Parts: sequence; C-alpha cells; structure tokens
Amino acid sequence: MTVRDRVRELARAAVITAETTFRSDQYRAYERARERETGDGARWALEAMLENARIAEKKGYPLCDDTGIPHLFLEVGEGVTLGGDVLTALLEGVADGQRALPTRPMGVLGSVPERLSQSGGLSDDPAAVVPPAMVVKVVPGAELRITLMMMGGGPEIRGKTFRVFHERSAEKVIREAANWAAEAAGQLGCTPIIPSIGIGRTHYEATTLMLEAIKDGDLDRQSDLEKLVTDTVNATGTGAIGLRGSVTALGSFVRVGPARASGIRVVCMRPSCAVDPRRATFVLSASDLQERRSAGP
Amino acid sequence: MELIRLETPITAATARALLLGQAFAIHGKILCGRDAALPRLVKMAAAGQLGDLARHLEGSVIFHTAVSPAGIGPTSSNKVEIESSIAPLSAVGVRIHLGKGAISAETVRGMSAHGSVFAVTPPATALLMDRIVSRKLLAFPEEGMEALWELEVSGIPGIVVAAHGVTR
Repeated sequence: MTVRDRVRELARAAVITAETTFRSDQYRAYERARERETGDGARWALEAMLENARIAEKKGYPLCDDTGIPHLFLEVGEGVTLGGDVLTALLEGVADGQRALPTRPMGVLGSVPERLSQSGGLSDDPAAVVPPAMVVKVVPGAELRITLMMMGGGPEIRGKTFRVFHERSAEKVIREAANWAAEAAGQLGCTPIIPSIGIGRTHYEATTLMLEAIKDGDLDRQSDLEKLVTDTVNATGTGAIGLRGSVTALGSFVRVGPARASGIRVVCMRPSCAVDPRRATFVLSASDLQERRSAGP
Repeated sequence: MELIRLETPITAATARALLLGQAFAIHGKILCGRDAALPRLVKMAAAGQLGDLARHLEGSVIFHTAVSPAGIGPTSSNKVEIESSIAPLSAVGVRIHLGKGAISAETVRGMSAHGSVFAVTPPATALLMDRIVSRKLLAFPEEGMEALWELEVSGIPGIVVAAHGVTR
C-alpha cells in the first residue's frame, strides 16, 4: 500500500470513528452526570443520549444527523517531510468517509449571492461539505499526527470570538468566557455542553487555540480553569436539553496561548454540544512515511 | 420516567391536555421541516394556498429537523425562520412543535392561543433512526434535506416544555 493509499484509508476511517463513537472519557462523563442528576427529565435525556451512543457504535449510525464540517489539525514533527500528495490523499480520504457513512449532504451550491442566500440548491454529495483550511503546527519529534474534528452547526450559532479587557486579572478573563458559555447553554438546546475556549492575541489565534483545546480535551482530566468554567455553566441549572438540572456542562476544554502587551485578550468560545467532541486521531511516523515514499506505489 | 403514548393525528383535546414536563412517545405520521420549508408553509397558509398540505397539517406534529441519509435530529427551534413559524402553523392545525432550545414568551403565547405545545427531544440520531418506519417527500423537493417530509414513526420521544402560555 502506498503512503497516499494508507493516508486516504486512515482519513476515511477517522470520519466514521468520529461520527459514530464516544470515547471512554465521554461515556464516563455521561455516567457521572447521570448519577448526580436529580431532575427526572434531565436524567431521562442523559440516559437517552447514552443509549444513542451505544446504538450509534453498534449499528454505525451517526451520533447526530448534523454530521458537521470536517476540520483537520496537523501536528507535524520537525523530522517529518510532508508533501502535497499526502495532503491531497488526506482530503480524498475525508471525502471517502463522508460518502461511506454517509454524512449529511448540506453543501450549498451556486454563486456567492446564491450561497449566501441558499437559493442555488444543495449538493447531493456529502463530500461537498469540504473542510476549511487545515491547521498545521510544527511540534518536536518525528511523527505526523492528524486529528479530524467534525463541527456541528448548533454551537456555531451560539459561539463567540471577541476581546476581553483583562484588568490584570486572569480570573476576569476566564469568568467572562464562562459567562458567555452559560448564556449560550440556555439557548443551545443540545446540552450538556462542553465549553471549548481558546485565548490568544488575534481572532485567528484564539480560534485555532479553541480547536486545539477540542483536539486535546479530556473529560477525565480537568484543569482549575476548566473546572471554573464548568461550575459557572452548571450554576445556571439549565440541565440536559434545557430540562432544568444540575448538569449543564460535562466539562470544559480551555487552551491559553501566548499573550501580547495589551489590556485585552482575544477569546474564542464555542459551546461544543452534547455529542462533541467528535474527533479521531491517527499517527504516522516519519520513517514510515519515508520508507513508504521511497518504496513508491 | 413514564412516557405516554400519542397517536397522530393529535386531536385538539389531546393537545390541550398535555402538561409541562409530560413526556411522550409519538406513533404514526409526523411532518419534518426546518429553516427552508417552514417559512414557505407559513407564506402559503397566509395566502390561503396550502391546498392538500392543509390536510397534513391538521392535527400534526412538526419535528424541526432535516431528513437526510444521515438521519434525523432536532435543530435549534429558536432560529428565526423556525420560531417565526410556530404560532402561524399552530393556527392551521399543528398541535405539537418538536425541536430543541428555548423559544420566546411571545412565541409561546401565540402558539398557546391555538392550544398547541412545544416539546424538545434529545439529540439522539441513532436512537431516532431506529424508530423511523418509512419516509416520504411531501413538498419543496428543491430544498433537499430541508424539504418538507412526512415520516411514519414508532416511538419518537419528547417532553413538553411550553404549553398553556407557560414555559418550563
């Protein structure tokens, strides 16, 4: 199998995995939530979401019909040589996975005005839902680590990227982001959420840090900042699917990047929804890539 | 939690008897529409041009969802295109609006004036897919997954969160 074929197959499998399976930390977070939830309706909703995950995994159905927009985060080791052919295979593999599941065909056709107004119809091809530009980060080591994240539409309605005046207080910054998440949770519908927050110097940086937080987030291991955000959201009492209860957030994912000399920090908050994070990661070693590359097709 | 069984079409008396916090499972035919289809239905109703669709709307449940090969699942009912349809479609016979999220007090009042209710369902596509018996495209095929669909279902769950002018 060539490098291209292998990357394509791994990307295809990543789409299916991300769309149809909860990781173990998600299952444990839901089980903890169900145990401590005191509201009857909210507990019923949490149980339904757990049952949904089990059916999705068993039958290969999507966790949510809004199968989302594929986002790719590449961590490229310093010792890795990465060519356009591998990146093309990656995109082809994502498209293969979208068609195989299939994901929801929601790509809007037409000219700019037609796309903006959704007046040019929709594509029947699930793979017309193309990924935005990939995030590429150079990291130590000799591996190529690729994470696919499927991002649904609900959190995009309620997400926000904006400046926060820090007033020389880290807590002020994180509390403001937590308040945004608490407000979003009341409107979103797909609670419990996982507030996903990136804090950086520019809107781009804050957004990519938010994505990185989703890539790395673990509901079993929460930092003090993440606990503060979760507690703030849970204090709203919104509960699962808005039915009032003690669990409105399963946990939080926070990533703080570099800072610049300024009175503001740029904060990106995405209220990731009840089926998030829908992600899958695969790794190729530099030597594996090199050997396969030199072996040819 | 006990779910009461609801068979479509829903009578006005059945809808009026639904209380906040009541959980149910729907059996029978339901309509599915969202951002694209629902405003078109509202316009047709306002113009008195529903035609045969009027028969489908009377006593109906409208689930705010796309219908695609990826399945069904609630979309945000508080998107302007959807929420603005809730009161006018209640006036032409929709008894249960099923979706997700919070809707405004004004919408709840408008809907309740016609004896209809708003309910939410968990974002549980795999579970819901297991409960679809059949599907049929009803109107607006050019809208693709956002067309108006009729589904026959067996046990789609929901819980009432707005009724009789009050929100839970």
